Amino acid sequence: MAPDEHDHKHCVAMFEKLSEYIDGELDRASSREIESHIEACAACKTCLATLKTTVHLCGSIAANPVPEALSQKLRTFLLENQSSGGRPTAFKR
Amino acid sequence: MTSSRNRKKIKDRDTELIEAINSGRHEQFQELVQRYEQKVYNFGLRMCGDVYDAEDVVQDTFLNVFKYLKDFRYETKFKNWLYRIATSTCIKKRRRSKFAPERELSLEEFFPDEDAAGPNEIPDWAQLPLDQVLNEELSQHLKAAILSLPEKYRVIVILRDIEGFSTAETSQILELKRSNVKVRLHRARLFLRDQLKGYFEHGT
Repeated sequence: MAPDEHDHKHCVAMFEKLSEYIDGELDRASSREIESHIEACAACKTCLATLKTTVHLCGSIAANPVPEALSQKLRTFLLENQSSGGRPTAFKR
Repeated sequence: MTSSRNRKKIKDRDTELIEAINSGRHEQFQELVQRYEQKVYNFGLRMCGDVYDAEDVVQDTFLNVFKYLKDFRYETKFKNWLYRIATSTCIKKRRRSKFAPERELSLEEFFPDEDAAGPNEIPDWAQLPLDQVLNEELSQHLKAAILSLPEKYRVIVILRDIEGFSTAETSQILELKRSNVKVRLHRARLFLRDQLKGYFEHGT
């Protein structure tokens, strides 16, 4: 899109599709439209870059280990239920 | 209309194990727990924000899996079925705040204000390599921001961006239209982006 065609309405329409664009869920024509808009619109370019980083940061959150006491509780529960023929009982909290 | 009897059986890495458990080898359930306890624990932690609640989520989820596994019809991946149970367990756990209405996040509140002063350049934090950005402090800030999202947005951003489920899988787990999953995910991401922006702007 040429800079002189740039308007706020177009920005809103692009802005709404940025997540789908990041996820690769848009068809080729819509992706191209976003790419050419981004070239001409600094605000949307910044939005896209910060949104992408946000998504990547979420995916980089490290998993916490399971507390050993909880794993032990689960093992005990399973052993008790095996011996009771597989009928589930409640956990001891 | 598709009859459930005509539905294709979905095979995945857990199918063999589930068939063994359902044929009476209950000792194999331990293997299933080992495969998923950390996943469910972290899901509970991200959803509830409390280690004790997360432990309850793990216990209640596996108790329900144990109870209902015999009814599992292989119409979905086991993992998706497990997360459906874990999600409803988390939601029940958070019911105490049921009187607080879920705020609708509007797109407009995240849309950059054209009149606002300030440059449009991409900020440093969005350009740095991730391993230089995500330190422990930022990780805590991000987790707190996720927790501050209304539940219907939080569950989607966790399933999609942390647990790595696709839009189709998330829509199946939550029994929501794909279009709703996409809209909520976008709003949740914009909210988190805003929170991160605030974090870096305040120089913490």
